[in-house]
Amino acid sequence: MKTYWRSLDELADPKEFRIKEARAEARQKSLLLKKENEANHPSRRDFLKTLGFSLAAASIAASCKRPIDKMIPYLIKPEEVTPGMANYYASTYYDGGDYCSVLVKVRDGRPIKIEGNSLSPVSQEGTSARVQASILNLYDGARYKSPMHSGAETSWKMADAEIIETLRKIQQENGKTVLLTSTIISPSTQAIIQQFLKKNPNTEWIQYDAVSASGMLVANEKSFGLNAIPDYRFDKAKLVVSFGADFLGTWLSPVEYTKNYTSARNLRDGQKEMLRHYQFESGMTLTGSNADVRFPVKPSEESGIVLALYNAIAKAKGAQTLTGASSAVDISGLAEELLANEGHSMVISGSNNENIQLLVNGINQLLGNYGPVISWDTPLQTRKGRDEAMNTLIAGLEGGKISALLVWGANPVFDHPKGKAIETAIKKLTLSVSFAERKDETAKACQYILPEPNYLESWGDFEPKSGILSLAQPTIAPLFNSRPVQETLLKWSGETLRYKQYIEEYWQANFFPQQNDFTDFRIFRNNTLQKGVFSVPKKNEVEYSANGLAEAGQKIPSAKTGIEIALYETVAIGNGKYGNNPWLQELPDPVAKISWDNFAAVPVAYAEENGLNNEDVITVNGMELPVFIQPGQAKDTISVALGYGRAHAGKVGEKIGKDVYPWVRLENGNRTYFVENASISKVEGKTFELAISQTHHSMEGRPIARETTLEDYIKNPSAGNELRKKHQAESVTLYEKMDFPGHHWGMAVDLNSCTGCGNCAIACQAENNIQVIGKEQVRNRRIMHWIRIDRYYSEKPENPAVSFQPVMCQHCDNAPCENVCPVAATPHSNEGLNQMVYNRCVGTKYCVNNCPYRVRRFNWFQYARNDKFDYNANNDLGLMVLNPDVTVRSRGVVEKCSMCVQRIQEKKQEAKLAGRKIEDGEIKTACAQSCPGNAIVFGDMNDPNSRISKLFKDERNYHLLEELHTLPSVGYLTKVRNNIV
Amino acid sequence: MRRYFLVFPFLFRFSFILLIILTLHFATGKFAFASGNNSQPGLVNGHSNEDIKRGQRFFMGLLPFDRKGESCVSCHNLKPADTLNWNPSAIAIAEKYIEKDFAEFQAAVMQPSGKKMEASHQNFEIPEEDLKLVKVYLDNLAMTGLPAEKPSINNILLFIFLGLLITWALAELIFFRKIKHKIIPTIIFVAAFGFQVKMIVTEATKLGRSQGYAPDQPIKFSHKVHAGDNKIDCLYCHHTAEQSKSAGIPAMNLCMNCHVLIREGTNSGKFEIAKIVNAVEHKTPIEWMRLHNLPDHVFFSHAVHVGSAKLDCQKCHGPVEEMDIMKQQNDLSMGWCINCHRETQVDFANNPYFESYAQMHEDFKSGKRAKPTAEEMGANDCMKCHY
Repeated sequence: MKTYWRSLDELADPKEFRIKEARAEARQKSLLLKKENEANHPSRRDFLKTLGFSLAAASIAASCKRPIDKMIPYLIKPEEVTPGMANYYASTYYDGGDYCSVLVKVRDGRPIKIEGNSLSPVSQEGTSARVQASILNLYDGARYKSPMHSGAETSWKMADAEIIETLRKIQQENGKTVLLTSTIISPSTQAIIQQFLKKNPNTEWIQYDAVSASGMLVANEKSFGLNAIPDYRFDKAKLVVSFGADFLGTWLSPVEYTKNYTSARNLRDGQKEMLRHYQFESGMTLTGSNADVRFPVKPSEESGIVLALYNAIAKAKGAQTLTGASSAVDISGLAEELLANEGHSMVISGSNNENIQLLVNGINQLLGNYGPVISWDTPLQTRKGRDEAMNTLIAGLEGGKISALLVWGANPVFDHPKGKAIETAIKKLTLSVSFAERKDETAKACQYILPEPNYLESWGDFEPKSGILSLAQPTIAPLFNSRPVQETLLKWSGETLRYKQYIEEYWQANFFPQQNDFTDFRIFRNNTLQKGVFSVPKKNEVEYSANGLAEAGQKIPSAKTGIEIALYETVAIGNGKYGNNPWLQELPDPVAKISWDNFAAVPVAYAEENGLNNEDVITVNGMELPVFIQPGQAKDTISVALGYGRAHAGKVGEKIGKDVYPWVRLENGNRTYFVENASISKVEGKTFELAISQTHHSMEGRPIARETTLEDYIKNPSAGNELRKKHQAESVTLYEKMDFPGHHWGMAVDLNSCTGCGNCAIACQAENNIQVIGKEQVRNRRIMHWIRIDRYYSEKPENPAVSFQPVMCQHCDNAPCENVCPVAATPHSNEGLNQMVYNRCVGTKYCVNNCPYRVRRFNWFQYARNDKFDYNANNDLGLMVLNPDVTVRSRGVVEKCSMCVQRIQEKKQEAKLAGRKIEDGEIKTACAQSCPGNAIVFGDMNDPNSRISKLFKDERNYHLLEELHTLPSVGYLTKVRNNIV
Repeated sequence: MRRYFLVFPFLFRFSFILLIILTLHFATGKFAFASGNNSQPGLVNGHSNEDIKRGQRFFMGLLPFDRKGESCVSCHNLKPADTLNWNPSAIAIAEKYIEKDFAEFQAAVMQPSGKKMEASHQNFEIPEEDLKLVKVYLDNLAMTGLPAEKPSINNILLFIFLGLLITWALAELIFFRKIKHKIIPTIIFVAAFGFQVKMIVTEATKLGRSQGYAPDQPIKFSHKVHAGDNKIDCLYCHHTAEQSKSAGIPAMNLCMNCHVLIREGTNSGKFEIAKIVNAVEHKTPIEWMRLHNLPDHVFFSHAVHVGSAKLDCQKCHGPVEEMDIMKQQNDLSMGWCINCHRETQVDFANNPYFESYAQMHEDFKSGKRAKPTAEEMGANDCMKCHY
């Protein structure tokens, strides 16, 4: 039996750890909100005051009026709207390079939830935590509410007139204007920009990505003549070797990659083959934690390893080998395996160094991976920013060669290493305009802020991959006085067309003729809009050339000595654009399980040598950072997350963590995301509190995560799950068996498909009105998430194996919580649900204490409409995101996963009305609906043909703590690793 | 002996607190249904309080002294009545005409249009000055709203009286000891205290419930006229009841389906129907008063009850087709819901949905069991309504 551990303390001394945890947990139960001066202990007088207050409150409550409720019907009811029923609109999320085709759930005129669109070939019904949380950005108080000029409100008319005049003057004086945007994948917008450029001939258009993929684009241009990124088909691969590319978390198109990756690894429905995944990386990323074989390496060592791999393969294939940096790792075995999987493997690198990317292209070409696994038919379009263009722009800005800058969707003042210089230069320009939707650092430096609407308020079209298109449609009228940037650009080009009209005309001219299904454009438009997606099948013949490859070996940097700092994007916050989103700030990092801060992840050995503990403070290159000891962190490296330390983001996002974008180096003009030879010193006696939740809600070290290897699994399908048979054999009970006459809801979680990305936690938060509680309360072990993703380590702390396990209420048919409730607030339903009745709960917390799975959450405070918890739920705007079908819990009650009972009830109602049985798969809980790994299956266990019944019969299936005879309705399927034996 | 002194102030304080609670409750809670606009009394331009008072007297029929027959108020009542008074109330007239000048008001009073008004506004002889003052009074009324009603103090008085009785009985028991049989003050104490407790419990239970609630609506809309006399199906107007949780309030355009033609009612004349037309023309939807309002933690679905279970609307809402003023018939308490679920049988045979209940379905088909009740199907499980 493997030993699993969740923190290094647990590994060191499990017994003492358990005692310490129990003490911490007991202490947590008496913690109040921290006050400024802590000397105030509650006294007898305070008690009397409270008593008196509650009496007065009770009397006021007793005398309160029946609220006069008004009902205001529609004047003219839109045909498609039925009060009380949700409408779903297909739309597209695209922001900062992240693309996802979505369905927007609209209840009574308000978008309240994002779901995945199953018709999309790209995101395939999956979403990411960030996509789920984007609904909250619509109701963000930090959005600009009207056009502004020098900090004062202005009108569109005034702003237009002034800017057109200034642009004309600049044109006359032969000045230069630059339009700086994030990568634009909208065909119609590209056309509009071209039109604008034609009208203003001295204008240049530069695309800029917050986190650069420039090296890849340059390399692909040299190798294939295309300024694009190929289509990586993880579902077709048998072997994936990734050099620092966090493709399940943040790299390029993580939702799509997760879908394909998990489908190539899932062992359901008789599949017996699994993709094998090698990962070379410095910090422990989400991708690395899912890898079968993981090599912790220094960032500077990567180039040498890639070169050695290239040489080994070139040698085998009879191609010319290259000289250059040497490898720190023996890759002969890997090379052999790659050669054995010719045409079915994939080598990728997250590096922004074009020479490394050239070598990677060379490897893939030698292995014949282009075509079957890496396709150029539908190249990815979501990264177009070239670093050299940005460098020219900065030089131009600093040299005074540029007179006007129009910024759209980019925030270089924050996320470019030369942000400070850009900010100073912007302030000196004749004209600077920002189209930012919400507060950001670049907009603050600009003269004009002409806010664009949120994506849920706008029309749009997108082409994430060539020939694969999708549409966006507004789901609510603009909340603020905003205007689509496309319309603004049209206006400045002398046209008065609305953007919606422009898209339609553009599609009629360009895409309508490319299809044969519809002869009438209106029907084509309506149909496409309804589905949200549209494809034009494309074939793309690409010729490989070894252009630049020969010199690449010499040009790549060699491994350095000294400590290196790897800079990475986190799964939740990404490049920092969503810093003001409290859901994402509170989502614990999938691996470190820390929310509300970035930190310095140091390797275990280094911490031991230097006497570092978690929450100590170290100075890294002059910046003080809190320490977190990260198992699996490569020797002599430290990882720090980008995207924190926003200076101008809104009330939630400011002053969280430290901004490390200035550390990004410009190496030969390429942004390089690691720092060499860092100087580190401990700040003695100083600590910084981190919201570390890795040990919270512990299940006391019982064997709950189970795993096996592919080899063992093929020999014996119940490998790793032997305990189950034992438990089943020993199962006896005095209790009467419960009867479930109609439905018996259950859920299965395939641990082999769960990557731990956290999408389910945010989907659940959006669906079930779960409140944000802030850093202090997370530290106090009070996080409200109904679904937590436990992360277990096993084996050596230097490079541990990682298991993820989402745990929600297990809906036990013999539930320990139900027996102890003194007011019967948590009984069992005849459909097998463990019910939680808020209006009956008096808050004894007996159930919380008696639940062996630690899934019950207590409302220690009133979180909604409370100034002490000033996040999204403290103003009318933020509360618009609430799901009207779920009660907002108040202080003093317990809550937990309800298996989205509102969705069950909704679908049952639909079936009853239609006079039919409920179909399997019809009801999808929020976590299951958008899971990018298809790891969660919900269904009726009474139906022998349902997917859930089949999964429960799978040999891999087991239940948590089955020996307690709690009879959970949630099952888990053993994780299978494709290790090298 | 001294020990009793210690008890006494405690009891006294306790009843005092109760008194405060109850007083507050009765004083404010009882008449919360009356929507009063209690803004500061305003003066209509150029008119004194005297004029307003005089105008009020004309409206009330106190002036002129030689008046014969009816006054304005005898048709256009000030306070809401229990039964529907079809004539526009004073406040409705005031609100309509505050934006209009005297000439229009005069024309409306003196040259009636529509059958109903022609019949009642016959042979009016009102001097212009008097009518002007009536308009001044009405304008003032529109600005200040109806005078707030004073709370009924019967219950409070009774409660205080009981409190006094308790005090007396206790004092008698402990200090005075004038009555020979101690049982008498004891009985009085127990009875009075018991009754007080009962009053508190009844009032507390009523909190949040509002059986019999029948507020004034902004339009004198009669369900009796529509559903009773004209036999319009409930689902014609509340057409989402069969598919959605919410039965829905008909949109104004739905009203206009009929009222585009019907502009004058037999009972109400033109005044009330004109409000709908006005709402549509000015795009200001009618703000109806909500009667049936469940707490936020209750999720009731009309679709299941009307669409699937095929219950009559009247089962919960009472004889709506006989109600001029819509009234909340039942208390909508949880006990009431649950009782109905216990008694109501589910139409098991005719809906394939219930085939999921395989064993029950078989037993029913083979005649082993009767139709199950809603409760047996799990309708009384907590999470069927609370989530």
